[in-house]
Amino acid sequence: MIQVRNLQKSFGSNKVLKGIDLSVEEGEVVVILGPSGSGKTTLLRCINFLEKADEGEIVIGSTQVNARHATKRQILDICRKTAMVFQSFNLFKNKTALENVAEGPVIVQKVEKQKALEYGRELLKNVGLSDKYDAYPSELSGGQQQRVGIARALALHPEVILFDEPTSALDPELVGEVLGVIKKIAKKGITMIIVTHEMSFAQDVANRVVFMDEGVIVEQGTPQEIFLDAKEERTKQFLKRITPEYTYQI
Amino acid sequence: MGNIDYFSFQRVAEYFPQLLSRLHITLIITVLSLVIGLLLGTLIAAVRLFNIPVLKQITTVYISFIRGVPINIQLFIVYFGLPALLNPVFLRFNIDLNMLDAFSFVVATYAFNSAAFLSVVVTAAIQGVDKGQLEGARSIGMTRGQMFMRVVFPQAFHIAIPEFGNTVISTLKDTSLAFTVGVVDMVGVISSIAARTRHSLEGYVGAAIIYFAFCIVLEKGFSALEKKLQVYK
Repeated sequence: MIQVRNLQKSFGSNKVLKGIDLSVEEGEVVVILGPSGSGKTTLLRCINFLEKADEGEIVIGSTQVNARHATKRQILDICRKTAMVFQSFNLFKNKTALENVAEGPVIVQKVEKQKALEYGRELLKNVGLSDKYDAYPSELSGGQQQRVGIARALALHPEVILFDEPTSALDPELVGEVLGVIKKIAKKGITMIIVTHEMSFAQDVANRVVFMDEGVIVEQGTPQEIFLDAKEERTKQFLKRITPEYTYQI
Repeated sequence: MGNIDYFSFQRVAEYFPQLLSRLHITLIITVLSLVIGLLLGTLIAAVRLFNIPVLKQITTVYISFIRGVPINIQLFIVYFGLPALLNPVFLRFNIDLNMLDAFSFVVATYAFNSAAFLSVVVTAAIQGVDKGQLEGARSIGMTRGQMFMRVVFPQAFHIAIPEFGNTVISTLKDTSLAFTVGVVDMVGVISSIAARTRHSLEGYVGAAIIYFAFCIVLEKGFSALEKKLQVYK
């Protein structure tokens, strides 16, 4: 279970997170929506301490950390309980797809190398890359790289996987393959927090949708509640802008 | 009055083995100073990357001094200046720096020199590793040490190859000034040939061929190495 309490973060004089409270149950898939600049990505990055929040508490499983007083050990602990899928993939350029996936288990979790490689192959097969084990990231398309990124996250058996706009850097025709993979693993009951702009995907995959704006959580609820019956004016406006009421056909 | 005999290929061939017999001096100076220079340069780079106050300012001055002063001047300063400066300290330990041979001072000079250039190469290479790579490493829970060994170092190594190659080549060529303080390397041997035979041009031509050949080989070697690692760029 993940809990975020009163999380606050400023960049200079710009307050990006103004006291976020969020709790995510085990196996839950939470999608965070919101206009750009609303603090979605920062929230995600504060959860695994890629950014250090100024204030607040983060609880992941048995680890409870006060952001302000976090020690190195605690931060490492949190990093090891989470995994992240990045907008820009961030695969290790000097390692093949399989090495990328096995790196965490072997180096961080000290899993026996052969076992980790075997499991890595299985994961890559699951994301449809059984023919790309030995390819370097530079030899893969964006969609393929992102699927390796997902496999790398899965390999760690984290308590939660954080997805930071996983399809925003992809060519439109590659978005589908990545979303497909995420949907597939969502069904396996892995806890996920996903920041995305893909509305129909959000509707499809989420157990809960969280709408953020200007550093606060405006509203949250089931996809139905948010997409069809939003209570807050700001949520309605946002959804209206993103999902047009009319489609024009020629 | 016969023609004055300025140059003959025969003599180039004749002196060539004599030059080659001193090639090892050139190579030893180059390798030793690069090894020491790389260690020292890495330390300097660490000071700069970790932004250590005072030391960082000192390294800035050091690097600009080395860059801004001709290598032969540096050589003389180390050869004549270092014993004068440090002997009072070393004599207490019963070490007289004036007893050291010229070779040691030459190696010291080229080590100090290449340290400055290599520190710049190392700093740039490490800063050249994409920040996203570090975030990727952190996200899977690596410690800073693991991050450095597994991700930063291999990538920085690749980035550094071309500039490192340039430094190796220029150090190799710079060692041709070692003879000015009396080290008998390839160039040093030319003077003695000249004194004996009154022909020096053939010696210089021979030396040019050897330096040139070495630099070509090094250049090709480094670019082959870079290409071999290219796969993950």
